[in-house]
Amino acid sequence: MADPNRPRAAFTPWDRRELPGSFSVEESAKRVGHYKWIEMRTFEVLGGWVATVPELDVKLRLGTHTYHHAWHAELWHKRLPELREMNQERLNVPPNDELVAFVDAMTEPEAPDLTIEKLVGVYRVLIPHKIAAYTFHLNNTSTITDAPTVRSLNFALADEFDDWRDGEMLLQSLIETPDEVQRAADRQAELEKLLLAAGGIAGPGSIGSPAQGEPDPESEQVTP
Amino acid sequence: MRKSLPVEDLARDERFVRVPITDRMNDPRSVTNTRMRTQAKLTPKRPDASDAARSLMHGIFVGEIQALEGAGRTCWDFETGDGRDEAPFALKLDMARQCWDEARHCEISVKLSDWMGTEIGEFSEGTFLYEAACNPDPVLRLTGVNRALEGLAIDVFNTMRDFGDAAGDPVLEFCEDWMLADEVTHVKMGSDWLRRLTADDPERRKNALEFQRVVDKLFSLGGFRGEDDESPVKLARRFRELAGFGDDEIDEIAEVAHEALREAQARRDALAADAAS
Repeated sequence: MADPNRPRAAFTPWDRRELPGSFSVEESAKRVGHYKWIEMRTFEVLGGWVATVPELDVKLRLGTHTYHHAWHAELWHKRLPELREMNQERLNVPPNDELVAFVDAMTEPEAPDLTIEKLVGVYRVLIPHKIAAYTFHLNNTSTITDAPTVRSLNFALADEFDDWRDGEMLLQSLIETPDEVQRAADRQAELEKLLLAAGGIAGPGSIGSPAQGEPDPESEQVTP
Repeated sequence: MRKSLPVEDLARDERFVRVPITDRMNDPRSVTNTRMRTQAKLTPKRPDASDAARSLMHGIFVGEIQALEGAGRTCWDFETGDGRDEAPFALKLDMARQCWDEARHCEISVKLSDWMGTEIGEFSEGTFLYEAACNPDPVLRLTGVNRALEGLAIDVFNTMRDFGDAAGDPVLEFCEDWMLADEVTHVKMGSDWLRRLTADDPERRKNALEFQRVVDKLFSLGGFRGEDDESPVKLARRFRELAGFGDDEIDEIAEVAHEALREAQARRDALAADAAS
């Protein structure tokens, strides 16, 4: 056994985490508030759709996924006060009216013959955008100072990837004709345009600003 | 998508056949409408034990679908908030969790039905569970579904678990025991929310408990559930206690079930008198 009195570094040799991060406490809280809002809309609509889809396998998958997104909403709800946001409802808002328009359009289908439209909205549009925004946050926040957010992002991302795969495979199994391929593509294009106008699930800067090579022109760059 | 989806719009594939609860109650072939009551307890010795167990399992399956749908609709139908026509955030989270549990129960029931030699749609589907889940007051949904119907599920799963044990079917016994654990959680959830949401509103609590009583009576199905030894499904007192029911509440359910049995008996006597005249 090594000499217990011998000084050791605070970080294990394989730990390459760094202090700098792209988000201030306020910016992180703002994004987390948007995440809570969109996760709530996600679990609410999935729960509502369960009764409207006749396909048994889809019905049961939606039921399971309803809980995943509710749990994400709870994670973000609990994170907000830790980011100095004691009023958990103040930041539980969409980033802009355009995202509300997207959600309204995504949640509009009800008829039992619209399962493709329902699934495309969530699994080919919303969830890929959530994965993108969460991944951007994960890759740009301080892995030391914002470690609790990183942990929640990792949990949420694991679910999002699994659910995306489930939803995509459901769609592939439901789409049987060229016309249905077109239906799915049309629905995706319609919703993508709305989400483009919103700038992503957290508004402009959801996945950074490629032109400047920076995450968000409005956010504070924190370097030690 | 609309808020509140009427029961006739529940989406099903072509295998499912719906029968209104009134038709089921009045069906002369129903066990409760015949003189077969003393044979009605579900035991492996019953000549029709296999069919009765398969029928009950199919009933569990369609009940789980509707419980899933009802919990999902509570996530969607209400705005989030503490108002009387709203659902608190934490309640919605509980309902979302229940969605997952009910989806698992559907999966379990499908596999058990297959194991027991049943096909989906072989038996009819009643829709009263979902109807109870459509109440515009979230508290009444909780008492109707989480306390009354999920409470019945406790009794049913306990009965099926015992049947699995008696029949030497460890798969059935194992699965029913797991589902029983979930149902105790759901009923406790309903009990806790009922107390929380009506703490300052005795009138609302009274209405909610009255609605529960109505649902409890309907789902006693003429003595289908009760404390009598011959009841096909026996009231599971111990698990109901775990789920937050007081002794007086369990006594009341037993009385409601007994009342339903007496009424069914009177109905049978009237039918017999009609037939004789």
